Amino acid sequence: MTLSMLRAALLLLFRDRGALMMVLVVPIVFFLIFAEIFATAAGDQMQLHVAIVDEVRSDDSRQLLEALTAEPAIRPVPGSLTAEFDRESARDLVRRGTADVGLIVRADGETLATAAGLAAPPLLLLVDPSRSVIATVLAGQLERAYFSALPDLAIGRVADLIGTEFTGFTDAQRAEIDAGLLDLRAAAASGKSGGWSFDELLERENVAGQNAALNNVAYYAGAVAFMFLLFAAAQGALGILDDQEAGILDRIATGPGGIYVVINGRFLFLTLQGFTQASVIFGIAWLVYGVDVPGNFWPWLMISAASAVLAAGVGLLLVTGCQTRAQAQLLPTVVILIMSAIGGSMVPRFFMPQWLQQLGWITPNTWVLEAYSGVFWRSEPAQQLLPVCLGLLGVGIAALGLAHWFGKRLVQD
Amino acid sequence: MASEPLLVVRGALRRFAQRTTLSSVDLTAYKGELLVLLGPNGAGKSTLLHALAGRVRLDAGSIRIGGIPPDDPAVRRRIGYVPQSIALWGHLPVRTNLEILGRLAGLDARAVRPAVAEALAWSGLADRESEAVASLSGGMQRRINIAAGTLHRPDLLLLDEPTVGLDPVARQSVHRVLRGLRDRGMGLILTTHDLVEAEALADRVAIMAAGVVRATDSIPILVGRLFGSDQEVLLMLAAEPAPDLRDFLRASLFSPTNQERLWVGRLRGGLEELPGLRAALIHAGADIDELRVRQPGLHGVFVELTGQVPGA
Repeated sequence: MTLSMLRAALLLLFRDRGALMMVLVVPIVFFLIFAEIFATAAGDQMQLHVAIVDEVRSDDSRQLLEALTAEPAIRPVPGSLTAEFDRESARDLVRRGTADVGLIVRADGETLATAAGLAAPPLLLLVDPSRSVIATVLAGQLERAYFSALPDLAIGRVADLIGTEFTGFTDAQRAEIDAGLLDLRAAAASGKSGGWSFDELLERENVAGQNAALNNVAYYAGAVAFMFLLFAAAQGALGILDDQEAGILDRIATGPGGIYVVINGRFLFLTLQGFTQASVIFGIAWLVYGVDVPGNFWPWLMISAASAVLAAGVGLLLVTGCQTRAQAQLLPTVVILIMSAIGGSMVPRFFMPQWLQQLGWITPNTWVLEAYSGVFWRSEPAQQLLPVCLGLLGVGIAALGLAHWFGKRLVQD
Repeated sequence: MASEPLLVVRGALRRFAQRTTLSSVDLTAYKGELLVLLGPNGAGKSTLLHALAGRVRLDAGSIRIGGIPPDDPAVRRRIGYVPQSIALWGHLPVRTNLEILGRLAGLDARAVRPAVAEALAWSGLADRESEAVASLSGGMQRRINIAAGTLHRPDLLLLDEPTVGLDPVARQSVHRVLRGLRDRGMGLILTTHDLVEAEALADRVAIMAAGVVRATDSIPILVGRLFGSDQEVLLMLAAEPAPDLRDFLRASLFSPTNQERLWVGRLRGGLEELPGLRAALIHAGADIDELRVRQPGLHGVFVELTGQVPGA
């Protein structure tokens, strides 16, 4: 008897394409997306887009940067290393997220061969605090390049260190070396500066946002808000199907406004609902975490309103585009989950491999997140965000138009 | 009955998935008239009603309401549609439902309040206006369902089986509402399977079968036209008839129905002919379960025109 029940359950599962998709296909798609993201983020496939400026243009700096850019993980952003590309350009690219990190070989610092002092380190990293992990990865790559491309400088620095810390290599000097090494060990053990670190060649400058924590909160406020705007819009759009089942849609569609009144009314409701959701989430981000929403109010308002319009249109399109209620309950969830995974609502986009980051641009999530990042990370003014907001609005209205077209099927026999 | 028709349907044809659901349908309806579309399942009643509501596009033919096609926005204000289901938001109060649906029917904010008050009054639900629709009885819900379709005072009210699922008492209350609307000059077209309801309500009936309107007129006229002075005979056989018996029944003016053992026919010349008919049937091999003669009515018309026994 138990096996009979098992058979019935299996048969029902295989006849229900929606359930089968949820059981088999969706987990596989999700696994592939996240495996790709985290394999890249944790492994040596990670690619860093680096804005590089060589202000010194010496043989040393050229060799160092050639060695660095030869690393497979390093991708200079277009324009890097050209004469026109200056420190401010690099700052701007990092601030806007076009480059993950910036590297300046400073003209106003000491030389790479500098033996001591380092009051102004020769290398400057331009860091977006939210991506500080990327700066750390770059520092590692830079160190490797330094020791491979400029071993003479590295060893010279060691020799200088020996010269500084020790004397010759006579027997007496040998004893002194031993004593010096003991001193060095003791100094290291006591936490005092001892020896030489590559880090002394680097200085870090934050170019975006207030701090990493706040930027991350702002990022996830946008990421979570938009994902749930989409979910809530799709769920709210299902109300049209409730009205259809109750016959309310037939009644209204027979009236002077037709089906358009139903869809437009629902669109306004979903837009208002979405905007309220975004307001609540960013309100909490402001009140609890201190994300500067009041200081960026107008840009935030523009993006949130455009996002709400977009989510309402997409939600209606996903639901009206389905043939059955069962489809309408499943398909939007699957589509939104995949869009959110690819588009950066679940994992920051800079963790993703390049192809996935590019693919993300086909999702509304990426456009919305980049727009929010423009506000809270890069403090972009409202007029700079206008094209993106108009784009979001345009897609939302286009989706509404398609929902009109699909919606006619709901009331025509 | 007004001489100027409110609704004119000519040669309406509709095919769906290679099946003809409406075929050369002609129909006329008038203001202040209650026209009942009657027919078995699949006859095309709902398709015709949906076409009148502008929800189904015809493949051929025309529909004109006051001279205008039903999908024209101008004519939509002249139509009211009452779906078969309770097409209301069950968790919202009665008044709120009516106010929203009144606005959606094209009433402006000033006009909607008196329209709702009037609808609540004639539907007998003024004292229940603040209650959620879902909490009302089935009959009350049906009355509100109808009231919601009349707020904008349409010339033509289309009702899809407005009493389905109601008990006789609730059904009577809906019938009163429908007669009241007709008496106020509204034209009503409703679909039903129920012959008793049709007889109780209809000024005229349009009997449909297989997408075709077989006849349209008042019930007495249809009965007179089909039966004249004949009586209706119902013959229930004990078993399905053999081919020879079938031929005999057809030759004797009996028609088959959708029940294999039930045949309907007519008796000419009065009851004194019945013993002779019975003897002839037995002689032809009929094993008679029941042989009944009755005054022809809508039931007989329906069986005669559709070949189906209502409710079977």
